[in-house]
Amino acid sequence: MGALERLFAVRDPFAAERTEAVFVKAMQENCRYQYRHCPEYRKILDGIGFSPSDLNSTEALGELPFLPTALFKKHHLTSMPGWRIPVKATSSGTKGQFSKVGLELGALWNGLWMVLRMAKYRKLLSLRPVNYVILGYQPHKGNDMAVMKTAFGSTFLAPALHRCYALRYENGRYTADLEHVLEHLRRYVKAGHPVRFMGFPSYTYFLLQMMEDRNVHLQLPRGSKIMLGGGWKQFYREQVDKQALYDLIRRVLGVEEENIIEFFGAVEHPILYADCPAHHFHVPVYSRVLIRDVRTLRPVPNGTPGLVNLLTPMIKATPLCSVMTDDLGVLHDGCECLCGLKTPYLEIIGRVGLKEIRTCAAGAADILKGAAP
Amino acid sequence: MILANGMIYGSEEQGKLLADLENRINATRSGAPLPAETVISALDRMAEKMEQGCFDELIPEPELREAVGFAAGMLHKDALLHRMQTELPALPAEIGRLQVRRVPLGTILHIAAGNVDALPAFSVIEGLLTGNINLLKLPQADKGLTVRFFQELLAIEPVLTDYIYVFDTPSSDLSGMQQLAACSDGIVVWGGDAAVSAVRQLASPGCKLIEWGHRLGFAYVAGNLAQTDALEALAAHIVTTRQLLCSSCQVIYLDTEDRAEVRAFGERFLPLLEAAAAKLPPDIGADAERSLRRYTAKLERLLSGKVPQDRTVLQGEGCSVTVCTDNALELSEMFGNVLVKPLPQAQLLPVLRQSKGYLQTAGLICPPEQRGALTELLIRAGVNRIMLPGEMSGTFPGEAHDGEFPLQRYTRIINILT
Repeated sequence: MGALERLFAVRDPFAAERTEAVFVKAMQENCRYQYRHCPEYRKILDGIGFSPSDLNSTEALGELPFLPTALFKKHHLTSMPGWRIPVKATSSGTKGQFSKVGLELGALWNGLWMVLRMAKYRKLLSLRPVNYVILGYQPHKGNDMAVMKTAFGSTFLAPALHRCYALRYENGRYTADLEHVLEHLRRYVKAGHPVRFMGFPSYTYFLLQMMEDRNVHLQLPRGSKIMLGGGWKQFYREQVDKQALYDLIRRVLGVEEENIIEFFGAVEHPILYADCPAHHFHVPVYSRVLIRDVRTLRPVPNGTPGLVNLLTPMIKATPLCSVMTDDLGVLHDGCECLCGLKTPYLEIIGRVGLKEIRTCAAGAADILKGAAP
Repeated sequence: MILANGMIYGSEEQGKLLADLENRINATRSGAPLPAETVISALDRMAEKMEQGCFDELIPEPELREAVGFAAGMLHKDALLHRMQTELPALPAEIGRLQVRRVPLGTILHIAAGNVDALPAFSVIEGLLTGNINLLKLPQADKGLTVRFFQELLAIEPVLTDYIYVFDTPSSDLSGMQQLAACSDGIVVWGGDAAVSAVRQLASPGCKLIEWGHRLGFAYVAGNLAQTDALEALAAHIVTTRQLLCSSCQVIYLDTEDRAEVRAFGERFLPLLEAAAAKLPPDIGADAERSLRRYTAKLERLLSGKVPQDRTVLQGEGCSVTVCTDNALELSEMFGNVLVKPLPQAQLLPVLRQSKGYLQTAGLICPPEQRGALTELLIRAGVNRIMLPGEMSGTFPGEAHDGEFPLQRYTRIINILT
């Protein structure tokens, strides 16, 4: 069994200390694989002067060249022929700039175990049938957005009686229809089966706010859960309102805080992060987080803010072993959280500098590159 | 959000509003023209409102509020009158048998870029000053400031209602864009080559195009001992504009062929740049952005295999100077990372000509006795603004824009024979 398989066979998703050696080994195997199969990745490692064999210790994880998410938006990086990549996901880029990331069967298999272990940790696995309210996109074949896929995937953690969607696909476009959701929600409450919400925190907030404005207060059946998730970005923006959202959920749906579970992940780092009961995102064994100094890009100790660098050996089809996000964050020592988990937890504090490239000089350069010798 | 007929509509109303737009425009144009005095006095009152802080809730950042104050200064009556007199000097009432008159172009579609918050509003103001009906297509990045600005303006002067239409049509909505273009006598486009090319496709051959495209700025340093204070001013300019503007310095050219001299200059300039960068307030987000961009650019170079020939990066704290051997005008990595290149006077014109259409501002540093001749040389090479090193991105009353007085382009000259 390779190091990767051993890593994903570990039952406790937060047993980081015990799995340190196997994580490093799996990273080295992955790095070597990418180096052999992705010509662009090889160019980068050669150019920087890093060899996969250098990746032999925890410290060396910090030396491994990382790829910024911007690179995946510009280049289609792949380490496998297309036919071996059954799942292709894209980030929900708003400016027409999005990353394309492929996942091979092995990664999906490992990902399934990861999801099941995280779901078990947050007591989401159940055989009791439930009704699902998806405050997100209805699946259809032209939509590769990862948020949609994870939302749909989450409806298999407990058998689904029915699913209803806030963003419905009709006549070739998505339209938001909260009325439709509310109608179904009333029916679900009457039916008496547990209800599970899954979706963006913002939509959840809108729906519940709308219900409260109309003085609609429901008591969801026992065993109901509210799952919140989206990209990193949504997570960061909504963070300020977190407690307000929890209070709203309690008032409007009668669901207590312990049954509210938040997730996050990114297309370029498809590791499922679920929050602990204290709503902190502890780093699971499948992943490592390095915070890097904003000027030198060297790793900094826990507690210091910097750029968020995410590492995982899970995916072979795309060189995602060390990815640099454009988020700013802090990694806190696990002992600072009262939930009992020992692995550090990540707090996102913002995004890098300018929100988008707002420059007129850059535009002129594009054509000059083509024109000048 | 759409602003039409003085009212706010949702984006979904666009179809209905566009269908009726030509009729409404024609009705307005059949009536009396819009007097410049009406526009000027409305803008003057608007400037007062801005100075009293009517946009403060929409603009939380103090440094941007400062910019609003600056913008308000440009809207005051004296500033506007000065501009009108400079850009639209009085015409002789008649030349021979001909009567001569300046009138508005008619209907102008403004396609604004998102890189300066106030730009969409300013473009429309230029159209109003010249008496035109203005259709504005908002940039995607607009956060509601522009519509709010015009709501306030219409509250001050309801007569302007029929002269201002704001649409949030996305550029991808081809049919919407075509309908807007079809109503227009001229299209003003701000933005990169992609935006300009897209508008050229959109406009019918008879439609006048007014293109304000992207440009690249540079500094030219001649004379053996460039004064340190001039170089300090240049360093401050590079750091404070973050090299993001058309007028920002991307490349410092030296009047030499000697590589050692270029290197020596880089070593002399780096500490000045570092000192300027150190004066900026610490900004973790901007630092992160800069580091990430530099790193990404490095990876891009490794991927393209185009490792720049003979380039030495002199890395400073929060900035860098790259010493080059080639002489092409190009975009730097921005954010305080400037390029230094050799360009002897004899080669200046042919080299800059390769960037024709993209030249705008040169910051000139040289001994006083060379200044006149070098200024002429830069002009002949196609540069439109020759500035002092610290004021490359300065704005000045009465200045031209990319070689032209914009207001002239928004008008037409009429001849009448009776």
